[in-house]
Amino acid sequence: MTASSSSVVLKNLAKSFGAVDIIKGIDLVIEPGEFCVFVGPSGCGKSTLLRLISGLEEATSGTIEIAGRVVTDAEPSERGIAMVFQSYALYPHLTVRQNIGFGLSLAKRPKAEIEAKVQAAASVLQLGPLLDRKPKALSGGQRQRVAIGRAMVRDPAVFLLDEPLSNLDAALRAQMRIELTDLHKKLGATMIYVTHDQVEAMTMADKIVVLNAGRIEQVGSPMELYNHPVSPFVAGFIGSPKMNLITGPAAAALGCTTYGIRPEHLDLSTTEGQWQGRIRHVERLGAESVLYLQTEAMGELVIRLPGQDCPAPGSIAFVTPRAGRSFRF
Amino acid sequence: MTRRRSPYPYWFVLPAAVVFVTLFLVPTVASLWFSLTRWDLFEAHFIGLDNYRQFFKEPFLVQGLVNTLIYAVLTSGTKSVLGLLLAVLLTSGILWQGFLRSVVFFPVLVSTIGVGITFAALMHPTKGAINVALAYVGIDGPAWLSDPGLALYSVAFIDLWKGVGLATLIYIAGLAAISPDYYEAARIDGATRVQQFWRVTVPLVRPATVTVVTLSLIGGLRSFDIIWATTKGGPGFASDVLASVIYKQYQAGFYGLATAGNVILFALIAIIILPLTWWFNKREVDL
Amino acid sequence: MSTSFSRARRRNMGIAATAVAFVVFILPFLFTFLMAVKTKKEAALFLFSWPSEWHFWANLTEVIKARNYMLLLAYFNSTVITVAAVAGLVVFGAMVGYVLQRRPSGWNRVIYAGVLMGLMVPPAVVPTIWVLQGLGLFKTIHGMVLIQVAYGLAFSVLLYRSFIGTIPRDLDEAAIIDGAKPLAIFFKVILPLLKPVTVTLIVVQSIAIFNDFTNPLYYLPGKDNVTVQLTLFNFQSQFQSQFNLLFMNILLVTIPPLLVFIFFNRQIVAGMTAGAVKG
Repeated sequence: MTASSSSVVLKNLAKSFGAVDIIKGIDLVIEPGEFCVFVGPSGCGKSTLLRLISGLEEATSGTIEIAGRVVTDAEPSERGIAMVFQSYALYPHLTVRQNIGFGLSLAKRPKAEIEAKVQAAASVLQLGPLLDRKPKALSGGQRQRVAIGRAMVRDPAVFLLDEPLSNLDAALRAQMRIELTDLHKKLGATMIYVTHDQVEAMTMADKIVVLNAGRIEQVGSPMELYNHPVSPFVAGFIGSPKMNLITGPAAAALGCTTYGIRPEHLDLSTTEGQWQGRIRHVERLGAESVLYLQTEAMGELVIRLPGQDCPAPGSIAFVTPRAGRSFRF
Repeated sequence: MTRRRSPYPYWFVLPAAVVFVTLFLVPTVASLWFSLTRWDLFEAHFIGLDNYRQFFKEPFLVQGLVNTLIYAVLTSGTKSVLGLLLAVLLTSGILWQGFLRSVVFFPVLVSTIGVGITFAALMHPTKGAINVALAYVGIDGPAWLSDPGLALYSVAFIDLWKGVGLATLIYIAGLAAISPDYYEAARIDGATRVQQFWRVTVPLVRPATVTVVTLSLIGGLRSFDIIWATTKGGPGFASDVLASVIYKQYQAGFYGLATAGNVILFALIAIIILPLTWWFNKREVDL
Repeated sequence: MSTSFSRARRRNMGIAATAVAFVVFILPFLFTFLMAVKTKKEAALFLFSWPSEWHFWANLTEVIKARNYMLLLAYFNSTVITVAAVAGLVVFGAMVGYVLQRRPSGWNRVIYAGVLMGLMVPPAVVPTIWVLQGLGLFKTIHGMVLIQVAYGLAFSVLLYRSFIGTIPRDLDEAAIIDGAKPLAIFFKVILPLLKPVTVTLIVVQSIAIFNDFTNPLYYLPGKDNVTVQLTLFNFQSQFQSQFNLLFMNILLVTIPPLLVFIFFNRQIVAGMTAGAVKG
């Protein structure tokens, strides 16, 4: 299974539904072989952007290039893409084998070729024993793999994955994250992955594209986004628990409109520190604890501490931001 | 930018549209014209509203119109009421419930002509099983289908016998859609069985009522084959309805007059059904 | 409402209801059967009695042979009309329902108007004969098939439209990405998934078309293209003195729906109650 990897270039791409602008002029380059994640809150346009690239939606303006070829007006099947749907969209009346081979049989490829490709995909995805089952008889994870197999046999230049893990339970999702990353390495293909889950973005992406209200907020590697967010939106979206973002007079006193500091970058002390407050609530997760500190100066601050030792709720505590770790927007 | 073609092309509608327009819509529109003519299928002479005038002047044609209304209201009303009562009975968990549902429903699927002939025999004034049975208990049964005052109602009864199963079935589906929570809440509030029926069942089964009333009214107004199989509109014109009048005029070669009858039937259905649908929908918004 | 009747009361009510149903609904069928197996003389008495002589086979063969095997021809014609018309209703109706559900546009109002008319407006029979004559379809089986398609389309479109709404669009899109053209999407992905509602439609419409009397009466007159219901109707006047044969004919006409009812009860109920809940 060697999929040729290709670049994807979007130039000033826009999409409106009637008077509503969903995508407002997007310029983006995705390098060959890259694992690129579109992330953002629901309604930010990330799925629409993916559907524009797939050709399931028509762009209102702008161009899409895949592998150096302008495909803005091409049929989806002629773009060299394959897609994995959130619902998997497996054909319920066909077996796993027929599902994976459906596109090839539509293209009237020889039976032997279809069978060889189906077998190859099945062996990569460990679907061998399931080939004659119907989707109904598969588990969620197995359906997921069939959907990926159906994409693989198209030898696509680009894989498009639309929230593919959101229908799985938490444990399976963690496992599939690793499997997908391995698969990406094995295939070396360009993959564009849409999710609203910043954990998936951080753990899998080479490049993250943060979208907000139809525009790109920031593009960069996971660590770039974590270490150097360009806006409060990105700062708040990447990282968990969420970065403390303080606005109003407290931020103005520090010379900015929004002051940001991550929970893990606040040092706690019971005796002294920059800001004093009362601990309102403590969440102990075992390996770490999350504290909610009500301060006079900064309002409520969330603090993340390693381990389980921390002051009891109701007690007075002080916090100090670690040097060079705060953000001023 | 060239627009790509939709995966749902309009030509998918074309085969259906061609058949529907040619064999349904064109004749319907043409009927408006032909109803104003004296017509022998080849030549049509415009005679204005003469056909309509005749329809409202000839006593037997007027009777057909009145009979149509009586018949439709009677069959629709009895089907709705009996259908609901049967549906309540057949969802109450009584013994042999499933079998009883099948028995009540089966006549819906049977040939109307067969039913008509069977009942004509059962309703025979002297030899028929109904009057023989009545004679056992000392009642002198009437001539069900040949008494002019009774024929229309006897046919309506046969229609009810054949059609009540469909109303029951629709009501059963409607009752199944009502959450049992409402009945439990009503019982906790102390509602009796009768109160539950009037305060919970009747209002909440409304969508089914709309379907049953609308379907059976349209069916009743258009009714033809059950009448043709039993009385042929007789005796005289006692049980004639619009549909049988249309057929008789057609047989007699009065094509323009038959078509005018068709238009009147169409108008009658529209006048009754459209306001009714509007009223049903309006009430729905109020809820 | 099922919980508050006592067990004994539910049993007694069931027995009472069955007794009433037996008299009202089953006795007429039993009467038909008894008439069908009696001798000519005995049948003419119309009595609700056990046949003194069992004439089942004799009556059966006689009614089949009557008028030069007309009943067999009628069964053949009715079957051809039913099968062809139902096939048309399935494919054409599903195609319309599919576009109607999947592609919202101004045309939908036009289609809905047509559907509403189809459900409500009584066919204008004489002008229809005029159109059929113009097309050379009057008194032909083809014409009859097309008429049944035209009259059944509205129901078929509505039934399919609501069912297609339950099929996720993702499937169409997966097929589009797999390179399927509109016809392939419809016939290879959508139509197979419509099987449950297609079975319902086939069953309900087959019974309706097989039992149809009025339309063949108008559009298929004459001896060459008789249908089952027309034959039965005509036998009524021919067999004035042979009620055993007339009722044997009724029995024969009743058996196909009975078989369909036994095997497809669930689908019939689904089809007949479609729209009852939503209104």
